Amino acid sequence: MIECRNVSKTFIQKGSQEVPVLEDVSIDVQANEFVVILGPGQSGKSTLLRIIAGLETPTTGTVILDGEPVTGPGADRGLVFQGYMLFPWKTVLGNVEMGPKLCGLPRDEARDIAMHYIDLVGLNGFEKHYPHQLSGGMKQRVGIARAYANKPRVMLLDEPFGQLDAQTRIFMEQETERIWQTDKRTVLFVTNNTDEALFLADRIVTIEGKLPGRVQRTYTVDLPRPRDLTGKHFLEMRREIIDASVLTL
Amino acid sequence: MSQEATCSAASSSIANETVGQVVDRGPISLGRILTNRWFLHTVSIVAFFWLWDWLARSNVLGAGSSVLARPHEVLEQLAVLTREELAELTLWGHVWASTQRVVIGFSIAAAIAVPLGLFMALNRYVNAIVKPLFDLLKPMPPISWISISILWFGIGETSKVFIIVLGTFVPCLLNAYNGVRLVEPELYDVVRMLGGKRRDEILHVCFPASFPAIFAGLQISLSIAWTCVLAAELVSARSGMGYIIVQGMNLSQPAMVIGGMAVIAAAAWGTTLLVTALERKLCPWKRKIVGL
Amino acid sequence: MTAYREVVVRTPLALKILPIVSVATFFIAWEIVVRTGVVPDTMLAAPTTVTQLLFDKFTNVDPDGALLHQHAWVSIQEAFGGYFLALAVGLPLGLAMGWFNVAEGLARPIFEIIRPIPPVAWIPLTIFWFGIGLPGKIFIIWLGGLVPCVINAYVGVKMTNPTLIQMARTYGASDWQIFRQLCIPSALPMVFGALQIALACCWTNLVAAELLAADAGLGFMITMGRRLAMPEMVVLGMFMVGLTGAFIGVIIDRVEKRLLAGIRR
Ligand SMILES: Nc1ncnc2c1ncn2[C@@H]1O[C@H](COP(=O)(O)OP(=O)(O)OP(=O)(O)O)[C@@H](O)[C@H]1O
Ligand SMILES: [Mg+2]
Repeated sequence: MIECRNVSKTFIQKGSQEVPVLEDVSIDVQANEFVVILGPGQSGKSTLLRIIAGLETPTTGTVILDGEPVTGPGADRGLVFQGYMLFPWKTVLGNVEMGPKLCGLPRDEARDIAMHYIDLVGLNGFEKHYPHQLSGGMKQRVGIARAYANKPRVMLLDEPFGQLDAQTRIFMEQETERIWQTDKRTVLFVTNNTDEALFLADRIVTIEGKLPGRVQRTYTVDLPRPRDLTGKHFLEMRREIIDASVLTL
Repeated sequence: MSQEATCSAASSSIANETVGQVVDRGPISLGRILTNRWFLHTVSIVAFFWLWDWLARSNVLGAGSSVLARPHEVLEQLAVLTREELAELTLWGHVWASTQRVVIGFSIAAAIAVPLGLFMALNRYVNAIVKPLFDLLKPMPPISWISISILWFGIGETSKVFIIVLGTFVPCLLNAYNGVRLVEPELYDVVRMLGGKRRDEILHVCFPASFPAIFAGLQISLSIAWTCVLAAELVSARSGMGYIIVQGMNLSQPAMVIGGMAVIAAAAWGTTLLVTALERKLCPWKRKIVGL
Repeated sequence: MTAYREVVVRTPLALKILPIVSVATFFIAWEIVVRTGVVPDTMLAAPTTVTQLLFDKFTNVDPDGALLHQHAWVSIQEAFGGYFLALAVGLPLGLAMGWFNVAEGLARPIFEIIRPIPPVAWIPLTIFWFGIGLPGKIFIIWLGGLVPCVINAYVGVKMTNPTLIQMARTYGASDWQIFRQLCIPSALPMVFGALQIALACCWTNLVAAELLAADAGLGFMITMGRRLAMPEMVVLGMFMVGLTGAFIGVIIDRVEKRLLAGIRR
């Protein structure tokens, strides 16, 4: 479904310096698979996701989506941004229905779709609120609903829960799993949290901690869902991943 | 930021509330009454008018009544002006004459400068052409254009409107320009991810995001507009509040001068409130900014 | 970290040339418009004429009674007089209003009465009070600069992080100590912002004051140009006002950077 072939990215910074951020990253994602990209801060995870989204062009390599190379951003991929990136001048409803409207759906239809996804993320009753009236978790749900409302074939989530407290985070993870199971899609989920990765993923791709980011290993997680955060297999896998990733730091 | 804050209208601020919490609430005592805000305000206003009155009565500033009028004389003078015509217009006529100039000049400037500012921010080439010219003309205060505008347009309405347009053009354009440049760039990415084109980026991100900055620019412009219209009317006019002030000066009637000042202050204050209200209405998402 | 490879980032040539082209076009068009008589020379003078007058004015006092740099010097004196007075009064007042309730309670109503009156409107009164000499103009300029000084200093203090204030209180700091050691430092960026804004206000009001009541100064030169129907003098005066203003602005900017750098250290 998504195929990153030898993607490398080098930024040119203000002082005219080249900063290599990604090197030779190859990832394969199957249809309806939940893949988590796990890596420490500053390892180029966001950059990778932006490349897949089409917001950045890779320096070398290509991203192939359903057999077609990605050349730019498009509504077939939905990106949930690391910061919430809601439009402060639009209400919750306005934010969510924006995608369908931009894709040319008529007003009523866009509204219905938006209401459906606002419902799905559990925000009914808050349609008329402005983003500054919402809590962090609620904002993130709006971001997720907004990406979903466009019915993209691929969902790209960039550390969506990075700014939440531990409890809300676990709750949101459960919600994400629920939403994914109600509305199956291919999901590429970026995080720096091993538990989160293990809880959600079908497959985990770890990225090395030093720039340029490289793929370190791939783990297949075939534990039954919903997963028990304290189960024996869960903890074993957790230890394995942590041991392997600490070595590279 | 500082410019925005400088010109934001009077409103209670966030900081005001938070810093205010620090003041502890004790039982009512003499000290508390003496430091009560409203009490102090009253004292201050009474003292202001009393001092003014005393200065006017007691010739400290110079010879006799031709230097400063007493407060009640100013009020009487204003009352007279509402009844009797000065240069064929009552007080309201003069207020309207000035306001009209401000509104026309201000509208023309806003209508040109705001789109131009947005355009400059959106297109590097437009920016490269317009910015240097703008930088060249910007340091000249609008008031310094009065003379040349009289040479060009005579002393009629056109020259006054021209000054106002020039004066208000700068802040309108600058704020629109900066408003767009300060937009969070990832918001453009959001629109593109949702399937939007360049047009949508401008429509859904640039415009709304620069709204608050544009409004701040409009507020600054408005106070400049009043200064400009007044200066232009002081130099040459047959109507307007500046004319009242000039007449007061020529007739050595301080009451008329101060009356004119009071009226123009009120008018400036009123238009500021109007723009603030409009902003509240049009930008419901914007939280209060700290201001005096 | 490894030393990254250096690369050269180019800006398109057009972007470098366009500003020059645009300014050049402006001046050439201006020259042509006047030379060909599209705009009569009673209304506008060509840039070359203005330049000629510029050099002439350094040695010739006619017809307005003073040399160019004398006019400029008078204006600068007035502007700086009013400016520094405005800083000296406005900043402490604004800081005090921001922190001390009594100061705010007493000063705010008067400030709110005076604020919406454009400083220009005071000109007739100051003529009554001080005549058309230096003090009257300094008063006008002072009024113009005062308002932004007070507002910025006030807002600066109000933006002090309330948590820090509460922390200081728990350490038993007095009002005065908090004001000195917490509020003033945190207001400094806003205060420095006021330096530029106040200067711009002062400069504008200077021109207004000189247009109406003066016997020397750049504003006076502009007025004389109009009275004598010499557009070249009007234009020269305007350019000098702009140039001097911009020059002072640059100096203030330097000072501001220097001072701010000192604080950061
Ligand atoms: N547009 C850009 N220009 C220059 N450098 C960039 C740019 N975007 C990212 N970088 C650099 O790339 C590196 C990786 O950034 P990236 O945002 O991809 O990391 P990340 O893994 O998402 O980190 P985090 O977990 O903190 O979000 C950083 O060092 C950053 O400075
Ligand atoms: Mg990131």
